[in-house]
Amino acid sequence: MSLNKNNILIFFLFFFSCLLFSQEKNTIIQDSTKTEKLEDVIITATRTKRQLSSLPLPALLISKKEIHSINSLRLNDILNEQTGLITVPDFGGGEGIQLQGLDAQYTLILIDGVPLIGRSAGTLDISRITVGNIKQIEIVKGASSSLYGSDALGGVINIITENPKNGFNADLNSRSGSFGTYDNSMNLGYKKEKMSITSFINGFQSGGYDLNTEDELKTVEPYSNYTFNTKLDFNFNDKTNLFISGRYYTQNQDYVASENLKGESKINEWNTHLKLSHTYNKKWSSYFEFYATRYKANEFLNNPDNSRFSETDFNQLLIRPEARGIYIPSEKSTFIGGLGWNHETLIRTDFSSQPEFNSPYIYLQYDTNPNDKLNIILGARFDNHNKYKSQFSPKTALRYELSNKIAVKGSVGYGFKAPDFRQLYFDFSNAIVGYTVLGYNAVTTKLPEMEDEGQIANIIVPLSEFEDELNPENSVSINIGIDYTLYSNLKFNLNIFRNNIHDLIDTRVVANKINGQNVFSYYNVHKVYTQGVELNTLWKPATNIKISGGYQLLFAKDTAAEDAFKNGNVYARLTPSSSSFQLKEQDYFGLYNRSRHMANFKIFYTVEKWHLDANIRGTYRSKYGLYDTNGNSYLDTYDEFIKGYSIWDFAINKTFFKNYQLGLGIDNVLGFTDTQNISNISGRIFYGKLNINF
Amino acid sequence: MRTIKFFTLAVLFISILSCSDDNDDAPFLVIESETISNLHAPQSGGQGSGEDISGAFTKFSFSTGQATTSETEWDIAFRGTSIILNGGTSLGTTDEPDRTGEASGYIADSTLGGITKVNTALLKEDSDKGYVITGWYTYSGPPKHVITPTPGKVLVIKTHDGKYAKVEILSYYKDAPENPDGLTDESRYFTFKYVYQPNEGITTF
Repeated sequence: MSLNKNNILIFFLFFFSCLLFSQEKNTIIQDSTKTEKLEDVIITATRTKRQLSSLPLPALLISKKEIHSINSLRLNDILNEQTGLITVPDFGGGEGIQLQGLDAQYTLILIDGVPLIGRSAGTLDISRITVGNIKQIEIVKGASSSLYGSDALGGVINIITENPKNGFNADLNSRSGSFGTYDNSMNLGYKKEKMSITSFINGFQSGGYDLNTEDELKTVEPYSNYTFNTKLDFNFNDKTNLFISGRYYTQNQDYVASENLKGESKINEWNTHLKLSHTYNKKWSSYFEFYATRYKANEFLNNPDNSRFSETDFNQLLIRPEARGIYIPSEKSTFIGGLGWNHETLIRTDFSSQPEFNSPYIYLQYDTNPNDKLNIILGARFDNHNKYKSQFSPKTALRYELSNKIAVKGSVGYGFKAPDFRQLYFDFSNAIVGYTVLGYNAVTTKLPEMEDEGQIANIIVPLSEFEDELNPENSVSINIGIDYTLYSNLKFNLNIFRNNIHDLIDTRVVANKINGQNVFSYYNVHKVYTQGVELNTLWKPATNIKISGGYQLLFAKDTAAEDAFKNGNVYARLTPSSSSFQLKEQDYFGLYNRSRHMANFKIFYTVEKWHLDANIRGTYRSKYGLYDTNGNSYLDTYDEFIKGYSIWDFAINKTFFKNYQLGLGIDNVLGFTDTQNISNISGRIFYGKLNINF
Repeated sequence: MRTIKFFTLAVLFISILSCSDDNDDAPFLVIESETISNLHAPQSGGQGSGEDISGAFTKFSFSTGQATTSETEWDIAFRGTSIILNGGTSLGTTDEPDRTGEASGYIADSTLGGITKVNTALLKEDSDKGYVITGWYTYSGPPKHVITPTPGKVLVIKTHDGKYAKVEILSYYKDAPENPDGLTDESRYFTFKYVYQPNEGITTF
């Protein structure tokens, strides 16, 4: 810690001395940021280049400039500040993203258009992703399985990495801050005529932190990780292009389960992405893509005498070849179609077998502008699968410009999430307590085996119920929005959303064991919905000031729970000594970990003659419940809630000698923590940053 | 006219009162409403110890309103989260008492006051397949591992000698703390409220 403070002090001194020093010269330095940006282009929504402003889908774009000015390190930092998005800690220690009130497992995360894997407990830990080499982050809300297949229920987040500019370029970035956090990255790029190559290295270290000092364990144990990414882009001629990308990520963290049980957890991940593009003529172009990725997580615990207490492995592989074609019959329409195949395997501790998923798929999308004011997108995808029910995912979207100032848009889409390997193949018996969890597909073979071994007292759910394939969790999402440009410097946009989610997978007791414990397995049961309104405002009162505000109202509920309240089947008691009373319909609060209100507010301010930019950002989330506290198994208004809170961040950056940038900032200025309930907010963070461009 | 009316009413009223006073063969007993605190119901083994659950059940009689060690004069008994009735047959767990009476019961979704009449069609006895009184609590799991008596669960019970009682369990922890912690608070102490109908054959409360 002391080293850390010194570092910040050095940054601080350096920063201000430069500030003083450079002020005198400022007037002669040509301004380089003034060039008007071209219209924002987004690729994730349609898999073709589209203007963000004309898109019929709710989408959001985060630029490199914003990432730099707020000095983000990991993906979770930046996503947390966007309207309707919040990162929630997973019990495994990772952080997943909640989008339109949908859980972290229902948002697809892509890097340059291809998915990241490694959802060992359903959640993909987005703090795994460094933002050091990001060009922009694209977020499309609403079910998008019509283009992307599984996991795109809530939406898609696509991270587009940076490409080099002409010539040789390099930048170094270093940030250190509280809690022993050091982040260093280097980008090297070279581009000449036909070829460009870029290499990126990032090292991140965290000393961890401890919110509850009473026990032996730390809230987050120290860890360090490294990201390596190399991309090669080669134009054979005007028409043919080859893109190759390789990425490697490795993380090491102390793993402490108790005073006596200590070990380590490791993550190793690699991705290779190869894409050959060819333009035949004005109308036709094609892409051949090959993607392979492996995610490995191992952890072990040792006894005090260094003998092994436990060891778990998770090793997932995804291979995906895909062919895509784009056909543009006229200026008004674009067809895109694709054909691909997902091959997935997993080797994991406590599995009944080494499962293999094979899933060929095909999709087609038609994007048309019948006239200047109307845009229509029609799309559908079919995913065939060898282990669960095949899926057909249609989507349609429409945007109509009522006037220069107002446009309305709407979309309806289908999304699904394939049952994960665990839900199908788990074969786990808890050695201490004695219960068993079986994956859906493991029940028909494993349960009779257990019965033969005399472990089963009686079977509660007949085996015949496991003959049909498990349904993927699926949803229909509806988004209706208005874009309103009051003046060129004042914009509003409103989106009303509803996601109807069916066949959510949960566990139930399928048999009793003779030891008094149960055998659990998975089944399709819940229906939940999330609905709400999202409002975004952007105001630029002057060229150097940008003020934005966002708000999301959310209702996320389980329909069976709603019925239980409606029918008067739910009770509560105020204290353990008072009698229970019946709850009313309006007493049902909804799903866990959902806040009714979320808001953000940001001011970006630039002083051009000083080459200085500063910003203040605030996020707020209203009260939410993490679990039932009054024993009726529902979250109702009489439960204990986690209080609403707001977090304010401040950053200031100064460019000097054109290529050097120093930054200082405080994240979580007010030092908010909730040591009991919120494990991913460490407290106030001071930091300093140095960025050098060559 | 008016005085005559009043007089007849008064006479009627008095005769009704005297009727109930005179009826000596079947005295109408007052319904009893009680709260029992910290009824200790320990168990041995179980909970991941690798050993079977054992230990004597703590028996309770509604007619005396007290715990009892009698082998026959008990209605309901507790051991950890297990609750048994003095009727039917034993599940056969270690140290589980034999049933000598005709007790039976069911769990109703209601407030305690909301149960005004026993639905005798729902009454069931314990058997070698399982107990009648299950699902009365909610287990919170980590981090606090609290056992909370589920609100709105009323135990409707026919006693070992054919009378009726309704029970609402309030707490599983000693002195019924406001915010119990399953790891630190002493558990297996039942606090419950009950209403006992001491009159034979009356199914209303």
